[in-house]
Amino acid sequence: MIIELGHYALVLALATSLLQSVLPIVGAFRGDRSLMQVGTTAAMATFGLVAVSFAVLTYAHLTSDFSVKNVWENSHSLIPLIYKYSGVWGNHEGSMLLWLLILAFFSALVASFGSNLPETLKANVLAVQAWIASAFTLFLLLTSNPFARLVPAPGEGQDLNPVLQDIGLAIHPPLLYLGYVGFSVCFSFAIAALIEGRIDAAWARWVRPWTLAAWTCLTAGISMGSYWAYYELGWGGWWFWDPVENASFMPWLAGTALLHSALVMEKREALKIWTVLLAIMTFSLSLLGTFLVRSGVLTSVHAFATDPTRGVFILAILVFFIGGALSLFAFRATRLKAGGIFAPISREGALVFNNLILTTATATVLTGTLYPLVLEALTGSKISVGPPFFNMTFGLLMLPLLLAVPFGPLLAWKRGDLLGAGQRLFAAVGVGLLIGGIIYYVQHGGPIMAMFGLALGVYVICGSLTDLALRSGLGKVSGAIAFRRFKGLPRSAFGTALAHMGLGVTMIGIVGVTAFETEHVVEMKPGMTTQAGGYTVRFDGMRQGNGPNFTEESGHFTVTRDGVEVTEMWSSKRMYTARRMPTTEAGIRSFGSNQLYVSLGDAMADGGVVVRIWWKPFILCIWGGTLFMIAGGMVSLTDRRLRVGAPSRAKKQKKLVLEPAE
Amino acid sequence: MLFWILVAILTAAVAVVLLLPLLRANARAEAPRSHDVEVYRDQLDELTRDEKAGLISGEDAEFARAEVARRLIAANDAVKASTGQVSSMRANRLAQLCVIILLPLLGLCLYLTTGSPDTPDAPLSARLANPDADPNILIAQAEQKLAQNPEDGAGWDVLAPIYYRTGRIEDAAVAFDRAVRLLGPTPARLGGYAESLIALSGGLVTTEAQTALQKSLILEPNDPRAEFYLALALKQEGKKDLALAAFDQLVARSPQDAPWLPLVNDHIASLKGEPTTTDSGTADTQAVEAAPGNPTSDDIAAAATMADGDRRAMIEGMVDSLSAKLAAEPANFEGWMRLVRSYAVLDQKDKAADALKQGLAAFPADSEQGKQLLALADELDLKPSGETP
Repeated sequence: MIIELGHYALVLALATSLLQSVLPIVGAFRGDRSLMQVGTTAAMATFGLVAVSFAVLTYAHLTSDFSVKNVWENSHSLIPLIYKYSGVWGNHEGSMLLWLLILAFFSALVASFGSNLPETLKANVLAVQAWIASAFTLFLLLTSNPFARLVPAPGEGQDLNPVLQDIGLAIHPPLLYLGYVGFSVCFSFAIAALIEGRIDAAWARWVRPWTLAAWTCLTAGISMGSYWAYYELGWGGWWFWDPVENASFMPWLAGTALLHSALVMEKREALKIWTVLLAIMTFSLSLLGTFLVRSGVLTSVHAFATDPTRGVFILAILVFFIGGALSLFAFRATRLKAGGIFAPISREGALVFNNLILTTATATVLTGTLYPLVLEALTGSKISVGPPFFNMTFGLLMLPLLLAVPFGPLLAWKRGDLLGAGQRLFAAVGVGLLIGGIIYYVQHGGPIMAMFGLALGVYVICGSLTDLALRSGLGKVSGAIAFRRFKGLPRSAFGTALAHMGLGVTMIGIVGVTAFETEHVVEMKPGMTTQAGGYTVRFDGMRQGNGPNFTEESGHFTVTRDGVEVTEMWSSKRMYTARRMPTTEAGIRSFGSNQLYVSLGDAMADGGVVVRIWWKPFILCIWGGTLFMIAGGMVSLTDRRLRVGAPSRAKKQKKLVLEPAE
Repeated sequence: MLFWILVAILTAAVAVVLLLPLLRANARAEAPRSHDVEVYRDQLDELTRDEKAGLISGEDAEFARAEVARRLIAANDAVKASTGQVSSMRANRLAQLCVIILLPLLGLCLYLTTGSPDTPDAPLSARLANPDADPNILIAQAEQKLAQNPEDGAGWDVLAPIYYRTGRIEDAAVAFDRAVRLLGPTPARLGGYAESLIALSGGLVTTEAQTALQKSLILEPNDPRAEFYLALALKQEGKKDLALAAFDQLVARSPQDAPWLPLVNDHIASLKGEPTTTDSGTADTQAVEAAPGNPTSDDIAAAATMADGDRRAMIEGMVDSLSAKLAAEPANFEGWMRLVRSYAVLDQKDKAADALKQGLAAFPADSEQGKQLLALADELDLKPSGETP
């Protein structure tokens, strides 16, 4: 009965969404306040209903209720409790329900915190959110119902995909979906603006925090996914330009562009039309990603089961929303008034430059991802567009962007002084080259390009700090005053600096690991040693073990440096009994930002085992940099400017907040 | 009943939430641009603050202030010009009706088409508390025990026929095989093993199945099931006379009312070239379903659990792998015979002819094996493409 109640709640959520799709927009059109307010309560109700149905599915997984087909297909009575929880979204149906839950959550957020939004804008935004929710609820109920039942119930489940039996599954999908779906709010704002034919000043102020929140979550989700693939797949790689990775990377690139263009729009009311288009494109790319991953067009660990009807259904959703949005844009965009003007060399100009490069990069990735698919569909011939293509094109595009990153915040709005900014960045350039040179000297043997790459990374970091230093007047005024000014800087300035620094740190990680990584593939017998990154790795032998639902063979390794034992590590191969599927559990040890990565291969007839040992210098910088970016996003989110825009109510608060700040 | 009461309560609660704003007294909607005024005022405040903090120069601040002020004035004028509208009662009534009618209607219609209200929850702990009522739990428990102790022959012996009946043919073959190895051969185990193999290969009596059946006949000479399948194997190999004799012998030994007689008679008729009651193309697959020595209805149910498309896909997959194996090692006469026959059974004449040609390349037509291949082709009504015998 509980299961069926969850199912009914989902059905009712669809009915509520459908009402929410129509009533508020009629209200906004007629200026009817009560109709518009239905949007608010309906959004809350939808969220409540979807939450109930998600909770019920979780309950089914926890109690191993194999009369639910979804549980039978993706769970096992013996798997550890945490995988019973995360297994809820470790499958197609459950992950789509999570998608829907997060969508409803965002609608509810707009409904509850949007009291300072213009009424009609809020009503239209909630209606557009409801269109998306209705489409996806219908998709769930008709093609991938998580509450489909099995009678009689099987006695045991088919187990969760072993690759997914990892803590990563608990974190990666929810974060990624928070990002993907977060951009739906920006999309709804864009559509609402197009419907009204007018963009309020509050629009950009509202879109920016949503973009920022979605971008922060997406950054965290992608970064987490990358680290997960790195340690779970056992290939030692951290980014493969795999279509599924690209599917999440494209909204990130477009979202980054949106983040910057929304800034121009908020401050200068310029780039209005462009920002609206970017908001549409970003969510469209999220939808495209969902289509690529969920339709079975691509085969990967993300695809779960493939079913052609699902692909067609998502394609229909895709065509409706992207096609509809772009047509609406074509008809209505001319009604939006263009805003302030600016000189090419200015903060706006720098941000336009950023947007140009980021959208070109998005287009490059899109081409590289879709071209093989389209070619295969049309001619049947299979080609693969691999890392060389992406490294070449994407790398070249990023070069000028990275050079320009520190300039942006230093340029003034409207018209800036490029030469002046360049002079102020001299220190950063110098430090960058110096440190790049030192690293090259210490790690000598790497290619000369690596030095420039590292120097570029350091330059981006120093450039970001330069902005903070200049703004607080360091060097010009006394230390105490500079410190006070530093403290008084808007949070968004810190956010910018942190995120840009993160970019530099990630850059250093990528260049460092690419240039200085070493890989050894050796056949080892117990007692044999091999060298990696200045450490000696000794293979001690194998051990058999049993987990709750798997058996494993682990190799034990002792790591020594100059004859002194530093650490020991285990690297194992597991065989999951229910699915008869093997996985690798690589042994990883960190030394500073460097890592030693040991992965077991096949056992040899003579008692030896093939071992792959990587020494990965600077590798942790890659994800360390994303942590900086995430921190930057969060700091920016707490900026008080992002919370303004209300008549009446905000005034009182402002008085309280502002006085002590001066 | 409780379920429907809860459904009603849930629906009513959502309806009330949606109706609340519609029941409130109508208020005048705010002027559309009043928010803009507020935002611009805030921007002016911010400018002043930035200037005081020394974040922007006085000149820049002046420029910016002028720009924001221009927007502020425009927004202010717009607010004064606009008048809020009052909502009409009629639209409200319509909306209320929408909520009251559509919500339960949509909800119930969709739920009744997609849901299964009569299926109770089945949490595992409750089922484990009362396993006797639930055969699947018994199977699962037996499997768990076997996973810990795979040398328990009795366990495999019990599970094997259950697997077969529930359509898990592959598991059944493994289980019968283990039972034979651990507990020794019996006609039941060997027969079950052979039957699983035959079902897996889509009705073809493979060499492995024949071996098992012959062993079973040694243990129990007059086992009708083994005799039937061996006769079928002869027929599938194209040895018409031998097959006919074997089927005739089976009829002679069977009781008058044996359930497998109609099927056997069909095969005899088809061997004599007479019209049969069943379509000859599917006779082989049906053989598994109505074979002697088995409660037929169970097997039909078992075979039915596998959709036709699935079964065909599985068979085709196996045939393809055989073809690939033969391409790598063509010196396998049995293999070529099986491949040609399989394609013929699957009704893929072109591929069968192709396989025949390749088989003849490995075993020339004038050799003993080549002659057998040609005899098979003759029986299956095939012509080796581009070659004359």
